Amino acid sequence: MTFNPMYLFYILVFPGFLFTSFAGLLLAGIDRKVLAHMQKRIGPPITQPFYDFMKLMGKETIVPDAAPKAVFLGAPVIGLISLFVTALLIPFAGLTPFYGIADIIVLIYLLTIPAVAIIIGGAASGSPFSGVGISREMVTIVSYELPLILVLLTVGKKAGMALTGGMTFSLIDISAYQAQNGMMITHWAMIPAAIAFLLIIPGEVGTQPFDVAEAETEICEGTMAEYSGAPLALFELSHSVKMFIMTALFTALFLQGWTTGIVALDAVIDLAICILLTIITMTLPHASAARLKVEWLFRFYWQIVAGLALISLILVWLGL
Amino acid sequence: MMLVNYIGCVILMVLGLYTVVVKKNLMKSVIGLGIIDYGVNILIISIGYQKGGTAPIFTPGEIKPGTFFVDPIPQALTLTSIVIGACVTAMALSIVIKIYKKYGTIDSTKIRRLNG
Amino acid sequence: MMQHFPVLAVMTLFLASFLVVLFGSRNKVARGVIAMTASTVPLVLMICLIKPVMIDGQIISYWMGNWEPVSGWAIGIGYEIDALSLFFGLIVALTIFLSCFYSLKYMSRDDTLEKYYVLFLMLSGAVLGLVLTGDLFNMFIMIEILTFAAVALTAFRNNLDGPLEAAFKYLVIGSIGSSFTLTGVILLYEQLHTLNMAQIGALLQKTGMNPTTAFAFGLLLTGFSIKAFIVPVHPVAADAYTAAPTSASMAMASMVNKTGVYGIIRLLYIIFMTMGLSSVQNLIVTIGTITMFLGVTMALNQHDFKRLLAFHSISQIGYVITAIGLGTALGLSGGLYHAMNHTLFKGMLFLCAGAVLYAAGTTNLDKLGGLAKKMPQTCIIFLIGAFSISGLPPFNGFVSKWLIYQATYEKAAESGNFGFAIVTVIEVVVSVLTLASFIKVSQSVFFGELPPELENVREVPLSMRIPMWIMAVLCIITGVLPGQAYTALIQPAVNAVLSPVKYIDAMMGSGYAEQFISAADAAPDKSVVLAGYWQPINWLILFVVLLAAFTIVALLGKNSRGARSHSDEVTDGKYATFYSGEKSEYSMVGGSDMFWGLKYNLRHYFGFIGEMHSGVVNDYALWAVLIAAVYLVFSFVCLL
Repeated sequence: MTFNPMYLFYILVFPGFLFTSFAGLLLAGIDRKVLAHMQKRIGPPITQPFYDFMKLMGKETIVPDAAPKAVFLGAPVIGLISLFVTALLIPFAGLTPFYGIADIIVLIYLLTIPAVAIIIGGAASGSPFSGVGISREMVTIVSYELPLILVLLTVGKKAGMALTGGMTFSLIDISAYQAQNGMMITHWAMIPAAIAFLLIIPGEVGTQPFDVAEAETEICEGTMAEYSGAPLALFELSHSVKMFIMTALFTALFLQGWTTGIVALDAVIDLAICILLTIITMTLPHASAARLKVEWLFRFYWQIVAGLALISLILVWLGL
Repeated sequence: MMLVNYIGCVILMVLGLYTVVVKKNLMKSVIGLGIIDYGVNILIISIGYQKGGTAPIFTPGEIKPGTFFVDPIPQALTLTSIVIGACVTAMALSIVIKIYKKYGTIDSTKIRRLNG
Repeated sequence: MMQHFPVLAVMTLFLASFLVVLFGSRNKVARGVIAMTASTVPLVLMICLIKPVMIDGQIISYWMGNWEPVSGWAIGIGYEIDALSLFFGLIVALTIFLSCFYSLKYMSRDDTLEKYYVLFLMLSGAVLGLVLTGDLFNMFIMIEILTFAAVALTAFRNNLDGPLEAAFKYLVIGSIGSSFTLTGVILLYEQLHTLNMAQIGALLQKTGMNPTTAFAFGLLLTGFSIKAFIVPVHPVAADAYTAAPTSASMAMASMVNKTGVYGIIRLLYIIFMTMGLSSVQNLIVTIGTITMFLGVTMALNQHDFKRLLAFHSISQIGYVITAIGLGTALGLSGGLYHAMNHTLFKGMLFLCAGAVLYAAGTTNLDKLGGLAKKMPQTCIIFLIGAFSISGLPPFNGFVSKWLIYQATYEKAAESGNFGFAIVTVIEVVVSVLTLASFIKVSQSVFFGELPPELENVREVPLSMRIPMWIMAVLCIITGVLPGQAYTALIQPAVNAVLSPVKYIDAMMGSGYAEQFISAADAAPDKSVVLAGYWQPINWLILFVVLLAAFTIVALLGKNSRGARSHSDEVTDGKYATFYSGEKSEYSMVGGSDMFWGLKYNLRHYFGFIGEMHSGVVNDYALWAVLIAAVYLVFSFVCLL
């Protein structure tokens, strides 16, 4: 594959750095505004996360004495970079700039890296709040990985069975399948998997009621307790970008296959779908449910959500 | 061919395994290991036997096609195996002696500080 | 000249083990020189053999004492090096070299070191001989030598009580395994009157499976399983790896359980050629899956650093066995790649554990903490190893695990068997649990708070760090350039495994195999594509982006005007953590305090498996008999 100057545009602007950051912060802002209206407040303006990011970038960075400096400062950068690489892999608005590496297994592991970066950053802080925070964060990761892999295997098998008679791990094939056979969510056997994925989204992003790892009232933000300034800005940015990536992934897996022909219009419609998904999966539970205890979170994901995904997997295997 | 030998060897191996699995005294476990080895040795020797064959020791020129002798390879294998059995017994016994000095007992249910 | 290299490599190690005690009893320098030379020579010889065997595809066959086969019957002991043997030979030679280098400084605090080197060189010679030989009884002899040396190395520090107990259990279980192997070899000899593996493979196709050969199959499989330490004979491995001195632990974890894997591959693919049967595939995959899951869940329970690493070693060997049991070319490549990666990252992790033990004096996770500032290089190497074993890109564990997932799921799709899809899911879950376990260790050992007893800990000496850095660099290289590693090393090995006809012909003279093997040799599936997941150009772009990001953060981070440390201003050192305004005791969260949610929900399961690993040698022997029974029943029911 030769070096194409368009790649720089893809990486830096769309759907790379700028677009992903913009979309992520926008989703975070809309989430806060809608939450406020649900709670009968007015809430901050939608551009508030942008102001927060700018403010944090200008603050002083304080490194604790007990922290190894390279690890402490490098963890947020690593997390953010892997999120951008993930964004490059997800087909958005019908565009997949990097053909051939749009692969589900790579995606799962790349999605694990930001969480691990948070954990390592927190571990490097050396404070006991971080210790508790990383323990809870790791349990959260273990909890949602099982249903996530089940959903992805289900989608892969469904698409692969029609295309090649086997299975596929490539997101490009999944888009091609949906272009031929209609949106994935219209097949009734995939509906439990779609519901399971909708429940995984808030867990992976870490909003309430699944934010045991970052419980502000219990452990002072846990892993991010000792962070300030630019690294904290990067962590908050990666939190927002994760919202965008998870909703975009849902769109790519379940709601693809249509196109209006104009790339810009497709992008706007996709973004609107992402906003709608954010409101349904992240704002609604945030406003209505309390924070789950860590052992309930584990049980919730491994019993209910994994059960739904498993039902879909069995139905797909039986050929339905 | 040698049915009695084969049955005997199987009985010895099973008895040896039973000793290692059931008996709590470490010395009895070592004896059990030895019994398993002896059973295997008997098996090896019995395999090489040919009814009516002579011992496979010849001077050059004495062998003609049609000379009927017992298979020599299993005998070599048995010698090797006997030596290995002796070494295993020696090492096991030396470890048991040092365990007794350290733990004060050779009951295997009490020697379980590495568990879980 | 090339013919003699394999035998020279093995003989050098055995000769050196003799010379070490002759010249090295009093002279420390002579001991070190002899040991290092003897460890370097096999590595050099194996590397010289890469070109003819891997790249050109020759198979080197060497008859000891020049006893060539007479009228189609093998009468001598033969050494046969095909790509699979050389693959394992390279791994073993590298491990020997690195372990010996590490032990020069690490063992300097113990005494009677010439005995250590005798045992270590004997162990190395035996393992190298096992993977290079072509004769079944020679393999058994090498198994015996290696069991001896490993038991004695485990019991080396016999002033402590753990090593003695571990050595006794290893001896009992290992001896049972060897007896089973010997019985299997003898039964095969009785049927076929030959001990040469190539000839056995050919003749077995003609005689077919009768009760004796099925019995021999079950016994040989048991023997090699006991050597590979898969469930349920794995507790011995946990005890032995903990108790042995760390450079020997690393040698054992990297080399010795690969001998079991090598034996199983030879048994299933070359000698018996039963891998095409779906019953055999199901059995091996089931055993492998149980091993990987049980290994990782036991590891979550542990308080000791080395014991935790040992359980992870068992779990990763489960991955390899599962991949090999699939019977497809993709599965084999995944399994062999993972075997190579396992040697690299597990060896590195054990060396880190040794470094921590050398510097801090303990491996108890509840007592360590905050060592990252005192031992920064060890910390980084540990993190590289931890991310490799969890399978995060861009390290090498990711490539091999990705191949294994693909292989399993494709097998599920081809054969329509739903069980393989469940195996894929279990593989991913085990991978995440591995990550969890290593996060726990890194928090307990390297991050967090430094306990007051460990104030004087310093970084380990350079000669201990060099082997760790070499392995770290290799981990990164095999992760970033998987295509090159694959075509150079893995693909010839996979082709060698799938073409037993060439193996037999090289040993017994060409044309021998056709007399016995009636079916045409199916050409191995060469269409394994690594799907270009990580092409170098993307890597370059990513690196540029990373560099730009780092620069931005570094520039903005310097905004802290006049950064100074506040710790000397605080009057009482105990206010190191602000803890709701109260005076804080030492408040480290790590070790057994981690992952309460996970442990609470699965407490019945964790309690059950903790109870089962009782530490009594009779229980472990019972399980060895149990797995023998399972294999024997299987071979009588499914193979006849």
